[in-house]
Amino acid sequence: MAAHAANYLTKTANNRLGLWLFILSDSFVFGGLLVTRFVLLGDQRPELSQGLGLAVTLILLLSSFFMNRGEVEMAHGNQKGFVRNTTITLALGIAFLIGVVGVEWPLAAAHGLTTDSSAAGAVFYIMTGFHAFHVLTGVFLMYVVLRLGRKGHFTAEKHWPVEAAAVYWHFIDVAWIFFYPALYLMGLVAG
Amino acid sequence: MFLRSALFKGLLGQAVGTVIGVAFVWMLRILFGAAPAFPFDAHREPALVGGAVIGAISFMVFAGVFDDWFKWTRGESTPDHHEPDKDKPGWWRYFNVDYDHKIIGVQYGVTSLIVLGAGGILALLFRIELAQQGITFLNNEVFDLLFIGTEWYQHTSAADLYNTFMSLHGMVMIASILLGVGAMSNYLVPLMIGANDMAFPRLNAFAYWVNVPGALLLLSSLFLGGFDTGWTGYPPLSVRAPIGVQMFLLGVYLVGLSSIFGAINVIVTTLRLRAPGMTMFKMPIFVWAAFATAIIQLTATQLIGLSFQLVMFQRLLGMGFFDGTVGGNPILFQHLFWFYSHPAVYVFILPGLGVISELLPVFTRKPLFGYKWIALSSLGIALVGFFVWAHHMFTSGMTSYLRLPFMYSTLLVAVPTGVKFFSWAGTLWRGKIHLDTPMLFVLGSIVIFLLGGVSGPPNGTVATDLHLHDTYWVVGHFHDTMFGGYIFPLFAAIYYWFPKMSGKRLNEFWGKVHFWVMFPAFLVMTLGQMYVGLHGMRRRIADYDLGPVVENVQFWITIAAFVIFSSILIFLVNAYFTAKRGEVVEGNVWNSRSPEWQIPNPAPLHNYSKQFAVIGEPYDYGHGDEYVNMNPAPSPAGD
Amino acid sequence: MNKKLLSIGEYVLVAALVVASTYFLGAKVLTNEFLLPMQASEQAVVIDELFGIHWWLIAFFFSLIVVFMLYSVFRSFIVHGLRPKREGFGEYMEGNARLEVVWTVVPLALVVWIAFLGADSLGKVERRYAGPVEINVIGTQWSWRFEYPTEEGVSVVSDKLYLPVDKPVVLHLQSTDVIHSFWVPEFRVKQDVLPGGEAFTRDLRITATEIGAYKVRCAELCGESHWSMQADVQVVSEAEYEAWLVQAGEDCGDEAVACGQRWATQFGCVSCHQAADGPIVPTTGPTWLELFGSVVSLDDGSTVTADETYILNSILDPNSQIHAGFRPDVMPKNFGELLTEEQINQIIEFIKSLGQ
Ligand code: HEA
Ligand code: HEA
Ligand code: HEC
Ligand code: CUA
Ligand SMILES: [Cu+2]
Repeated sequence: MAAHAANYLTKTANNRLGLWLFILSDSFVFGGLLVTRFVLLGDQRPELSQGLGLAVTLILLLSSFFMNRGEVEMAHGNQKGFVRNTTITLALGIAFLIGVVGVEWPLAAAHGLTTDSSAAGAVFYIMTGFHAFHVLTGVFLMYVVLRLGRKGHFTAEKHWPVEAAAVYWHFIDVAWIFFYPALYLMGLVAG
Repeated sequence: MFLRSALFKGLLGQAVGTVIGVAFVWMLRILFGAAPAFPFDAHREPALVGGAVIGAISFMVFAGVFDDWFKWTRGESTPDHHEPDKDKPGWWRYFNVDYDHKIIGVQYGVTSLIVLGAGGILALLFRIELAQQGITFLNNEVFDLLFIGTEWYQHTSAADLYNTFMSLHGMVMIASILLGVGAMSNYLVPLMIGANDMAFPRLNAFAYWVNVPGALLLLSSLFLGGFDTGWTGYPPLSVRAPIGVQMFLLGVYLVGLSSIFGAINVIVTTLRLRAPGMTMFKMPIFVWAAFATAIIQLTATQLIGLSFQLVMFQRLLGMGFFDGTVGGNPILFQHLFWFYSHPAVYVFILPGLGVISELLPVFTRKPLFGYKWIALSSLGIALVGFFVWAHHMFTSGMTSYLRLPFMYSTLLVAVPTGVKFFSWAGTLWRGKIHLDTPMLFVLGSIVIFLLGGVSGPPNGTVATDLHLHDTYWVVGHFHDTMFGGYIFPLFAAIYYWFPKMSGKRLNEFWGKVHFWVMFPAFLVMTLGQMYVGLHGMRRRIADYDLGPVVENVQFWITIAAFVIFSSILIFLVNAYFTAKRGEVVEGNVWNSRSPEWQIPNPAPLHNYSKQFAVIGEPYDYGHGDEYVNMNPAPSPAGD
Repeated sequence: MNKKLLSIGEYVLVAALVVASTYFLGAKVLTNEFLLPMQASEQAVVIDELFGIHWWLIAFFFSLIVVFMLYSVFRSFIVHGLRPKREGFGEYMEGNARLEVVWTVVPLALVVWIAFLGADSLGKVERRYAGPVEINVIGTQWSWRFEYPTEEGVSVVSDKLYLPVDKPVVLHLQSTDVIHSFWVPEFRVKQDVLPGGEAFTRDLRITATEIGAYKVRCAELCGESHWSMQADVQVVSEAEYEAWLVQAGEDCGDEAVACGQRWATQFGCVSCHQAADGPIVPTTGPTWLELFGSVVSLDDGSTVTADETYILNSILDPNSQIHAGFRPDVMPKNFGELLTEEQINQIIEFIKSLGQ
């Protein structure tokens, strides 16, 4: 039995290293997109809805908070608390997606910022699109963890998938913290 | 039987998935009014790309690569290993999703050789065209029939076909190298550090299998108009190229995924699964090379993926990343591309240099000269390699003062590479040298890689590169580095570890013939390339008008290519007959100290029945002490 | 004692071999005369000097490693025989920290020195002279066009590059479609030609030093006919250059056909379309021989008679009607902007003269 637990610990340590390596790898794409943005647009930025940008950013930050709560609850063996907090995170994640893809995209397009209008349009859609794709995978992961958690799959000692989903979610959040100012705040609106 | 293998199911899945994907995207576009229903031709690109993506995913699902992960999402647990099915024939495991690193290693290796063959045959085809001046071969009716005549094919001329063959040759060969690197690190790293498998066997299987649809997509471009962009795919040319370029971009993307996930595995395995007592500086030197390689693959690969994605989107959605007239910048692509593709060239060679360092002590019967320096030089090359990418862009018109820092960093790579050469010379010095086939290939590698290496600095100093850039000099440079740093070491590795994989030893005589045919032919080929390059032969041209001397040299290059081809045929025949009825060898064939040779041939299913302990240095030939103790006293409970 | 002497002798022998081999390679094989095309520009002189240093370094390092390697193999034959026994070992040596430092530091120093030389020659190659001759170079799939701005601002356009000898020239390079690269091997220097407008214009400075005929060769893969994207370069005396400018700047007169032929040549039409008599050869675009008045089948299956409207339309908007068997998006779409209406009409006259 002791060997079994030790085995779980080593495995989790391996997994953790693997996950962090993946995140390191992935951040190179986010970095590459930032470089693209600064090379092409320099001190200009696309014209976007400031209110909406701030709102989705707050939503995402908030979701990270609940994700953390969820993980801590699980670490204390509180399944109910885990489910509650994770559900909120999931909802916030979906709200973020709706905000960006469902509202901001059509809004921008209506203002003439389309994929083929200019480099600014191209940069805007690729950055938000790429990030949204990550949010989508994060939401999917969270959904899986939530379902397993509901079924009582995790314990205070063994809940690596929860940790993984949480770390990944925070990573997406941090990436947005770089993207948000680069798209919404820095530089002057062209024109 | 074959019809039930994962490979076949995957291929079927890919075919079905592609059709469904095309239909699906096509329907969506009709629904949204983005495309007319007829003719299909006019707006087929998005549909084909959608089909290709869904086809590739279907391959993976049908082949069963995701089975265990699907189970995990449902909360079912799965065993760490699937024990092989006793009723199935021996080849069965190789055609199915298997989690054993040795099987995966061999799968990688064989795929790599097949892909090498495809790339080589493409090279022969365009080499025939170059053998003499004038368009003389690719305007043959056979090609018309095969490619130009087909409705999907938009090539208008033999010159276009040349460009496609040449581009595909480059990329296919690079894919072959990446597969071969996967083969070596998968097969060897766990065995060398005393692990029973890689850290994440399922991820490992994923990383292998994703190459299969990737390679297929890459080759499918031949029948979709090809791509006349070179392996570098610079926009705006790649934005205007035929649809084939999309298959090229997607194929490379998948192969890149494989690199990234494979790298995660190698790093975690190396850092966490070493046998007790094996500190980093007591690892076999190959593991260091694989580790440094993995660091590059893990990070840099993402940027070729990104750059290719951007081109894809520019084509599909008109996004103007690289279009100067709407605020884009074509040079940005080159930066993103080379940020990967320069470090990638060190991915190609580091494992090969690792093999050289690994085998030299065995065949000279003395310690590896300056182990630590060699180990660290791999890391050094990998790290400096991240800061030199713009040396491919000295003439590109990028910000011109940036060329100087990149010149310095480029030349700096000569230092750690030099350390390797000098240490190898030190290892050979006063050795007791056994010229078995693997050793011949090692010595050949050193000479050829040296030629490739010393032809690097003239590229690196900006002023001389103004002449050399995009000429055959560069072609000669990189064939030397890639053959010396990869192809020759790969063959050394195959001859050396073949007994470990199969229990049989490749025929020595034919092995030596292989070497003595390939080595001189190869020198003729690359020295010839460098010569014509200096005299004005540009890269990527179907025809040239540089006079009789250059034409003569070109002719001999083509002959040399065919000789290389024959030598590889000799190898294949040798391997075939050895596998059928070769000399069975047991135990430590080469008298090596390395742990993988202390267990039976072929390596048993779970590698080491008992964890060994490291008690000495890896390459202390002639000193008496053992490197590993295969039967250590059981360690105190707990562990 | 004896052993030590032997060992010293061994080192001396190897060193002598390295020197001999370096000398042989450096002085007899790797020479600029053998390896490089003729020198025809000031820049080439600087660059070749740097090449010379590289050849010597290559000769030395190649000799160094290969001689050590071959000598070691040879020595092992002598000492241990051709097929040594599996048992037994070579001489035990683990490494030598001092040596390792030496062969890290010495190459490091060399590298810094070469980089310095590299920076220095780059500076010389790109040196700016006052009052250079300015020429615009326009690369188009797959031809070159050269514009010579004159004082009145009217430019002479040519498909050949004329350069006055010994005069500094600056070329302003621009592309209309994809990336090309300007390279004359005898001048050594090379510069990519970028599309995207003014912001992407790049300069290349050349001072030609030898009167003669050369070729610009496009050195960046630019699609189907990249291989044939070449143009003649004539380096002439200054007097001849001036004379040529005057002559080339002359009006082509009223001869519509002759003018059309001139434009078709200067603007690169004839790099894709056959306009010279003779048997019809496969080209990138449809041949112009007997085009006018013929019935052209288009790739959507319909046919059309090649009258003046069709030809005009094909020039202004090439994609609107695609000649069957040819590709859309190949022929540049901006000739409507580059050419005046008169010039286009004259080209049409020229095409007409080739018909029937
Ligand atoms: C497989 C791998 C590989 C390796 C290992 C290298 C190694 C090097 N390469 Fe190469 N290179 C390629 C593959 C490789 N290259 C490819 C594929 C391309 C073309 C891509 C394309 O456009 O398609 C290319 C192109 C390329 C260019 C661009 C040329 C151009 O297009 O204009 C440059 C420019 O600097 C360059 C430089 C170098 C240098 C300085 C090294 C150095 O790392 C070499 C270092 C080694 C030595 C120098 C020899 C040993 C050292 C000593 C004995 C010590 C003492 C030596 C000195 C002090 C000089 N390479
Ligand atoms: C590993 C990498 C690799 C390898 C091994 C080779 C091998 C060869 N290469 Fe290639 N080459 C590249 C990588 C490689 N190349 C790259 C990256 C480019 C740049 C492309 C670009 O510009 O975009 C290039 C470009 C390139 C050019 C320049 C083309 C141009 O610019 O127009 C030339 C020209 O001579 C050439 C020739 C050859 C030849 C004759 C071989 C021969 O050595 C090939 C010999 C090998 C074989 C013939 C295979 C034999 C195999 C079998 C017999 C097995 C068959 C059976 C099975 C199916 C298992 N290559
Ligand atoms: C890069 C190659 C290229 C250049 C340069 C080029 N063309 Fe074309 N041209 C083509 C191709 C390919 C076609 C056939 C496809 C099409 O119909 O658009 C074509 C078609 C035509 C046609 C229609 C002929 C037919 O048989 O249908 C005319 C007329 C023509 N070009 C005139 C010109 C003129 C005038 C110029 C120069 C000012 C020119 N072209 C420059 C490639 C070129
Ligand atoms: Cu223009 Cu190549
Ligand atoms: Cu490089």
